Amino acid sequence: MKREIVVAVAGNPNVGKSTLFTILTGEIAHVANWPGTTVERKEGIRRHRGRVIRFVDLPGTYSISATSPEEIVAREYIVSGEPDLVLVLVDSTAPERTLNLAVQVLELTSRVVIALTKADAAHSQGIHIHVDKLEEKLRAPVVLVSALKGTGIRELLDTILDVAEGKRSGKSTLRINYSWLEPYISEVESLLRKQNVLPEYDRRWLAIKLLEGDRRLEDLLIQKGLKTVVEKTRSLRQAIERSTGRSISEHIITSRFNYVDSIARETVVRVPAPSAPMFSRIENLLIHPLYGPPLGLLILLAAFTAAFALNTGFPLNIVFSSIGLSEVAELVEEYSLSGLVEKGFSILGAKTAEILYAAGAPSWVVALIAEGVIPGVGSVLSFFPLIVIIYAALSVIEDSGIGPRIAVSMNRFFNYFGLSGKAIYPFMIGLGCNVPAVLASRASIEEEERKQIIVSVPFVPCQARLIVILAFVTAYFRKPVFQALSIISIYAVALLLALATSLATRRVYFRKKTPPELILEIPPIHRPSFKVVWWLTWDYSKHFLRKAGTLIVLLSIATWWLLSYGPGGIVEDVRASYGAILGKAISPLLLLYGVGGENAWKTAFALIQGLAAKEALIETIAVMQGGEVSTKEALLALGLTPLQAYSLLVFMVLYVPCFATIAAIYLETKSLKTTLVSMLYMIASAMIISLTIYYLGQLILLVAT
Amino acid sequence: MIPLAYLPPGTRARIVGLTGGYGQTRRLMEMGFTPGTQVEVLSSGPGPLLVKVRGVVVALGRGVASKIIVEPMR
Repeated sequence: MKREIVVAVAGNPNVGKSTLFTILTGEIAHVANWPGTTVERKEGIRRHRGRVIRFVDLPGTYSISATSPEEIVAREYIVSGEPDLVLVLVDSTAPERTLNLAVQVLELTSRVVIALTKADAAHSQGIHIHVDKLEEKLRAPVVLVSALKGTGIRELLDTILDVAEGKRSGKSTLRINYSWLEPYISEVESLLRKQNVLPEYDRRWLAIKLLEGDRRLEDLLIQKGLKTVVEKTRSLRQAIERSTGRSISEHIITSRFNYVDSIARETVVRVPAPSAPMFSRIENLLIHPLYGPPLGLLILLAAFTAAFALNTGFPLNIVFSSIGLSEVAELVEEYSLSGLVEKGFSILGAKTAEILYAAGAPSWVVALIAEGVIPGVGSVLSFFPLIVIIYAALSVIEDSGIGPRIAVSMNRFFNYFGLSGKAIYPFMIGLGCNVPAVLASRASIEEEERKQIIVSVPFVPCQARLIVILAFVTAYFRKPVFQALSIISIYAVALLLALATSLATRRVYFRKKTPPELILEIPPIHRPSFKVVWWLTWDYSKHFLRKAGTLIVLLSIATWWLLSYGPGGIVEDVRASYGAILGKAISPLLLLYGVGGENAWKTAFALIQGLAAKEALIETIAVMQGGEVSTKEALLALGLTPLQAYSLLVFMVLYVPCFATIAAIYLETKSLKTTLVSMLYMIASAMIISLTIYYLGQLILLVAT
Repeated sequence: MIPLAYLPPGTRARIVGLTGGYGQTRRLMEMGFTPGTQVEVLSSGPGPLLVKVRGVVVALGRGVASKIIVEPMR
C-alpha cells in the first residue's frame, strides 16, 4: 500500500487528452523527453483515497504499430512493466474511429480502463453510448467523463484504483477473430512458446505483429539472438501473402475495424440533434479555396497584432505618433507589458545593488547579481507576457477548431516551399518570438519537415528585431513613405529567405522532390472553452519558461562576463572588455560596407551584443556614444549613409536571432552539428544578402548621378 | 474505380484499396481508411480534400488522396 500507482494515458489526437490530463492531475509535475527521442513525456500526480497516482501521458497516436517514434514510445512503455495500467481515451463523439486504439491496447494487455471523453458534446450531438454493454463487450471497465463539466472524474479515479488493486480487471487480453489468419497465428504462437520469446509481451499479440512484419520487434528479436524465429515468421508471411494475394497488415487492420464496427452497432445510438448553422457557415468560408486563405490569415494576423500591441505597444505607438499624438504613443510604450516588466527589473537591480553594497558584498558579486542575474531573469520575464499572449491567441484558434482549417487553406501556399499547411503556426509564432516558433516545429509529423522548419523559422523577424528595424528606419529615413517601404521590404526579404531555406533544405539536403503530404484530422468548430484555453496557455507558457528560461539566464550571465571582464580582470569601461576586443577583431568586416574607424568597431561590438538579445543592439550603440543622447542621435552619430544603414539593418535582421533561439535549435535537434551549421548558414546568408544590396545600391547610385 | 482525389464534392464512395508506401498506407488505415469503408467528399478544390470517414473529418493532400482507390456509390 505504499507504492504509487502508475497510469499510462493513451489516446488518438483530438480525443481531449490534454484536457482530461490537466483535470486529472491539476498540474503537470514533470516534462521531459522520452529517452533517446525528441518525443515529449509529461507526468502529473493525483492523490485519491489516500493513494498517489502518477499519470504518464503517452504521445497521441492512432495505433501502437511501429510506424513512428511516437507509436514505438507508447507501445514500449505499455509493455515495460512500469505502468500498473493503461487508461485509454475514446472520443464519444467519434466512437467508430477512436475505439480502434482501445481495442489495440486491449489486445496487448488486460489492465486497461477506458474513458469515454467529451460526454457533454456527445450528448448535445445526440450520440448515446451504452456503457454497460460496451464494458461487457470489451471486458474492461468503461467510464463516461466530461473534463469540461467535471463529471465522471471521481468515478474514473475510483475505477483506476480498483483495477490497480486487482479488485476489477479483465482476466485475459481481448481476442479478435482474424478468420483465415487464425491457423497461422496459432502456428507462430507455438513457435514463440517453445523458444520462450519475449515473455513480457502477450504471446498472441506478438505472433500477430510478427506476421504483420513489425520491423521494431524483428530487430529486437535479432538483437536477442533469435534470428531463426524472425526468418521463420518472415518466410511464413511471404508464403501467406503469395498464396492469398492479400496483405496481412491490411487484413488485420480491416478485421479490427470490422470488430469495432460490430461493437459500435450494438452500443452506440444516434438520434438526430439540431446543428448550429452559424458554425457551419464559418466552416464553409474557412475552407473555401478563394476566401479561405485570406480569411485565415486575417484571423491569425488580428490575433497576433492584438498580442503585440498589448506587449510592446506596437503598432499602436506608430499609429499615435504618425497622427501627431507622440505623447500618447510614449505612454502606450511605457505602459505596455514588456515596458512595465523591464522597468520593474531595472528598479529591482538598482535596489539590490544598494542593499548588497551596504551589506559589504564584494563588488564582483554585486555586479554579477545586479547586472547579470537580475537583468537575465528580467529579459526572460519581459519575453514572457508576449509568449503568454501569443499562446493564448493560439489556444483559442486551436480549441475552436479554426486552426486546422487555416492549416488546410494555407497548404497550397506552403507546398511551394516544401512545407505543409501546418507550417503556418511556427511562421506566425516566429513573428512574435523565434524560440517558441522553433519549439512549434513539433506540429509536423514528417521528420524532414520538422527539420526544415527548425532551420528556416529563425529568419522570421521577431518582435525584438522589429524594435531594431524601427529604431534604424526612423533615424535614417525621414519621409514616411521611405520608412514604410524599408520596413516592408526587410520583412519581405527575411520571410522569402526563410521560405527559400526550407525549400532548399528539402530539395538539396533531403533530396525530396514533393512537399510533405497533409493528413490532418479536422475537429468540428465550436465555441472555445475558457478553461481549456487557460490550461493550454499555461501549459505551453510553463514549458517555455522551463526550457528557455534557464538558458536565457545563463547566457545573460555569460554576456555580462564578456562585457565586464577584460584581460586585466574587472573593467570599468566596456571599451576594455573582452567583448570590445572581440568587436575590434571582427570590425574589418564592416569595411566591406564602407564603414571604418571608431564606428566600425562600435557597430561590430553592438552586433555581438545583439546575439544575447536583438533589442540590446540599439542600447549598446547608445551606451557607446556616451549614453547621454537619445537613441536616434546615437544611431545618427554612426554617420552612415542611408544605403549603409539599410544594408547593415538587413544584416542585423538576418544574422543569428539570439542565443536563446540557438539553444532552442539544439534542444529540438539534439545535434550540435545541425546547430552550428545552421548558425553559420544564418551569418553567411545575412552577409551575402546585405552586401549584395549594398553593392547593387552603390551601382544604381553611381549610374543615377 | 478511381482515385479519391478525382471525386467531386458531395459524392460518397467505398474504399477499394490503398497504394503508396508502407508507412503512409498503414497510417491511413489506422485512421479508418480501410478497404470497404464508406467515405464522403465534403469539399475538393485546388487544395487538400476534406473527407468524412467513420464520423471524423480528415484533410488529405491531393497526393495522398490520389493513392486511395475508391468505387463511387449511387
